[in-house]
Amino acid sequence: MSSDAVKKRKPKVIRNESGTPETKRGRAEGDQDVRVYNEEVELEVRDPQQDYMLYKNTCAALAKLMAEIQELKAGGAKVGSVEIEERRTQCSVHFITLKKLNRLAHMRLKKGRDQTHEAKQRVDVLHLQLQNLLYEVMHLQKEIGKCLEFRSQHEEIELVSEEEFFQEAPAEISRPHVTRDDQHQLTLARLDWELEQRKRLAEQYKMSLARKEKIQKAIEQKREYLSSLQPGLQNIMQASLPVQEYLAIPFEHMQKQAEVARHLPPPLYVLLVQAGAYGQACDKNLSVSIRGDVDEAKALSRPPEDSQDDESDSDAEEEQQNTKRRRATSGVQLDDKRKEMLRRHPLSLCVDLKCKDGSVLHLFFYYLMNLNILTVKTKVSTSADLSGAVSAGELLNSESLLNCLYASDHGKETPNPANRYQFDKVGITTFGDYVSDLGHPYVWVQKLGGLQFSSGGAQSGLTGSALSASHMERTMKLLRGRLQARLALHKQFSSLEHSIIPVSSECQHLFPAKVVSGLMRWTLMSHQEFTELGFVQHVLKAGLVHETDLFFMAAVERGTARLLAAVVMNPRYPEVAPLFSLSLHWKGERSGRTDDNLRAMESEVNVFRSELQGPRPGLQLLTNQIQRLCVCLDVYLETESQVCDGSEGPKEFPREKMCLRTARGPSRLKPFKYNHPQGFFSHR
Amino acid sequence: MFVSLQLLHMSVFSQSFSPCGRFLAAGNNYGEIAVFSLSAALSPDASEASQKPILNFTAHDGPVFSLLSTDTHLLSAGNGEISAWSWAELIKKSTKAAWTRKPSYETSLEIPEINAMIINPKENSLIVGGGDNNIHIMDMETGIFKSVLKGHTDYIHCLCFKEREEEILSGGEDGAVRIWDSRTNRPVHCIEVFKYEECARPQFGKWISCLATDSDWMLCGGGPSLSLWHLRSMSPTSVFPLPGCQREAVFYQDLIMSVGEGPHVSHCLHGGTVKAQIPCTPSSLNTLALNLKNTEHRVMTVGGSSHQIDVFTNFSYRAFSLSF
Repeated sequence: MSSDAVKKRKPKVIRNESGTPETKRGRAEGDQDVRVYNEEVELEVRDPQQDYMLYKNTCAALAKLMAEIQELKAGGAKVGSVEIEERRTQCSVHFITLKKLNRLAHMRLKKGRDQTHEAKQRVDVLHLQLQNLLYEVMHLQKEIGKCLEFRSQHEEIELVSEEEFFQEAPAEISRPHVTRDDQHQLTLARLDWELEQRKRLAEQYKMSLARKEKIQKAIEQKREYLSSLQPGLQNIMQASLPVQEYLAIPFEHMQKQAEVARHLPPPLYVLLVQAGAYGQACDKNLSVSIRGDVDEAKALSRPPEDSQDDESDSDAEEEQQNTKRRRATSGVQLDDKRKEMLRRHPLSLCVDLKCKDGSVLHLFFYYLMNLNILTVKTKVSTSADLSGAVSAGELLNSESLLNCLYASDHGKETPNPANRYQFDKVGITTFGDYVSDLGHPYVWVQKLGGLQFSSGGAQSGLTGSALSASHMERTMKLLRGRLQARLALHKQFSSLEHSIIPVSSECQHLFPAKVVSGLMRWTLMSHQEFTELGFVQHVLKAGLVHETDLFFMAAVERGTARLLAAVVMNPRYPEVAPLFSLSLHWKGERSGRTDDNLRAMESEVNVFRSELQGPRPGLQLLTNQIQRLCVCLDVYLETESQVCDGSEGPKEFPREKMCLRTARGPSRLKPFKYNHPQGFFSHR
Repeated sequence: MFVSLQLLHMSVFSQSFSPCGRFLAAGNNYGEIAVFSLSAALSPDASEASQKPILNFTAHDGPVFSLLSTDTHLLSAGNGEISAWSWAELIKKSTKAAWTRKPSYETSLEIPEINAMIINPKENSLIVGGGDNNIHIMDMETGIFKSVLKGHTDYIHCLCFKEREEEILSGGEDGAVRIWDSRTNRPVHCIEVFKYEECARPQFGKWISCLATDSDWMLCGGGPSLSLWHLRSMSPTSVFPLPGCQREAVFYQDLIMSVGEGPHVSHCLHGGTVKAQIPCTPSSLNTLALNLKNTEHRVMTVGGSSHQIDVFTNFSYRAFSLSF
């Protein structure tokens, strides 16, 4: 190889390197002598292993020569000696060989790289093609998938089932010979048939509409005709009124009432119906009528019913707007809100209960719309003029007449618990303030109107009409009883005030013929005055006195003895008996607490009251009780002379009553029980 | 508190403790007898319900003025009749009377009441006195009324028995305290208390409504003041200045306890001084009873013109009240 290298050095050789072929070619054309030397070609010929060996050898030779030179130089040879020069030349040749080898190596490398690069490019292209194909495949698969999923609209149409189709469809459409085999054709045929059917039905529909129009028009015409008849009928009704009155069938009146009744709020309507029914069925003396302004009621019902919140909101809004124009005070606003809340329905019911003696109890029922409760106001009209009894002022007072019709039904508070929240909004603390104006919201009134509030007490499962009906009879009886009791008391009071105890003939047997003690005074007391009395504290402590009770003071006298009786009368007289407490002023003061005999007299009158009821309905209880009190006082005073007190002179009260024994038992009680007809007194 | 009308006008007239001392029976003016459980009322976890009777039934037509307990039975006196109730049955709430006997009376227009009953343990006889002015003696075993002691001119309020001498003492409306020998059924003495100036209170009357004896001593009172008598000398040794008329008095240790008109129990000493007056609920008292049979429930109960019976565990103050 070194000879080749030498050869190569000498001629001017253009080496064809792939780097700059153009320039090399150019030079090559200029220089004809030049041998074109293609090292690349040479590359293919040479064997890299051999080159490698050559390289190693060259390096070794070089190293050897260097070592020789070194030796020579060390041996003291001169610079430029022939051996050194020879060796140097040989080194240079070796260098050139190395350089060639280097070049070859580079070229080999480059070639290798080029080949690799080419191969890579080929691979890349193929890869790209692969990717493209894969992508296309995927795309096609998706498309196929979509196609498979495709739901034709025709599948959403409900078609008649196949059997039906074959049965019903005419032959041109169904084409059984084709469709039985071919599913596609079958579907097409079915769709056709569906279309056909729908067209037919559309036709029918149009025709029906047209018919309906015609009939509507006919109806309109007939209606007009009928309404034109109305005035004629009215005239006839008017003309027939006198006839109705003659025959006593208030037909017209009832119709009018029914007409107005349509505008009543539901509770009043229930009350009207139930009261009317009760009156017709059981009680001829009960009559119901509607009062009030029908037009207002109609006006109320026409716009959609606003809820109470809306009303108050709109009120608030209005008020806010108004404050810009006129400065309304918040007090006025609140007042207006209150008035709004307590508004009554314009219609009201009037129920009249007539009694045998001609007196009438008028009950006016009102409906408070926002509070959803009924209230009642009363008025009593009597056939005879009631006068004279001062103490009876409270009896027929419309405020308290219906107090406690049922036990503890005061009518001072609203029975609807929801009203509490409504009141809080507008600052009403007690409904009691408005009761005199609006009427009393008794619980029985709510029940008569079918309103049931869950305010404690036993709840029946009834509502509405059923509730009203179940309470109607009892309430009406109680009302009538109350009125009669009060009227009877009224009469009794007027004679009591004249110191006459009216004892009817049926009750004469309860008392002896001669009663000396007499009633001197009968006055009304207030609750305050009653509680201040000393001898009634035991009754107060026993919880038998309520604020709704009526209080009276009776004074019975005989000679120097004076018996004071404080009477507590429950509004439900005579179901609940009046309670007497006694105090005797005679030779000192004694009361039922200090004197066992006075206590026995109290028992006589309070506990054994059933004997004193008199004929039903027991309205003579009070007067009988007072009469008995007089009788007992007689006995007490006449038997009070056991003492051998050494006081001379006639006894103040000579014994007139016949008694078997004047004292009995450990407490030495007097005989207060009167026995009829024997006429003597005995002990219980 | 709501009290019904009936309860307001109720009066308790008689009381008696059961032989075991755990129950109290009380009789009222409506003829009802109520049995209270003292052990329940005195227990630490007593409630309002334990102050109500465990049993309340109507025993007689008229008021029950007297109740007496034997070893097994409760005897109650109504209008002219005596009924016996077994305590065991009463505790089991059965209200069937064991027997009912009526002394023979002469008058028939009004049935006389029976105001007092005592037992003569030696002869096992029941001694009753009442409205017909006589004392009837009934043999407990046979139920026959064997004798009648006549002598009083007005009805008999109270009876008591002196065991040692076997003498019956009776006090009546006629103001006389009569002493009878129970063996011979003859009157021995008659003391008209109202004739003694120290005791007499003419403004009230002369009747004697309470009697008690303790060996030689006798307490009596009523219209006249409550007074302590020495029986051998038949003279009053001390007179107690109590304002009202006394209806029942007992000897207890060295005290004398008495109840009557006025809402208090009076504690008096033998010397004649009133040591204390303990206030109680009823406005006047008819009966006082001491439960000495049972040491656990040693109480004093009083009843009168009220439906409540006051219970004193410590005799100096009222502990609580039982209520009909």
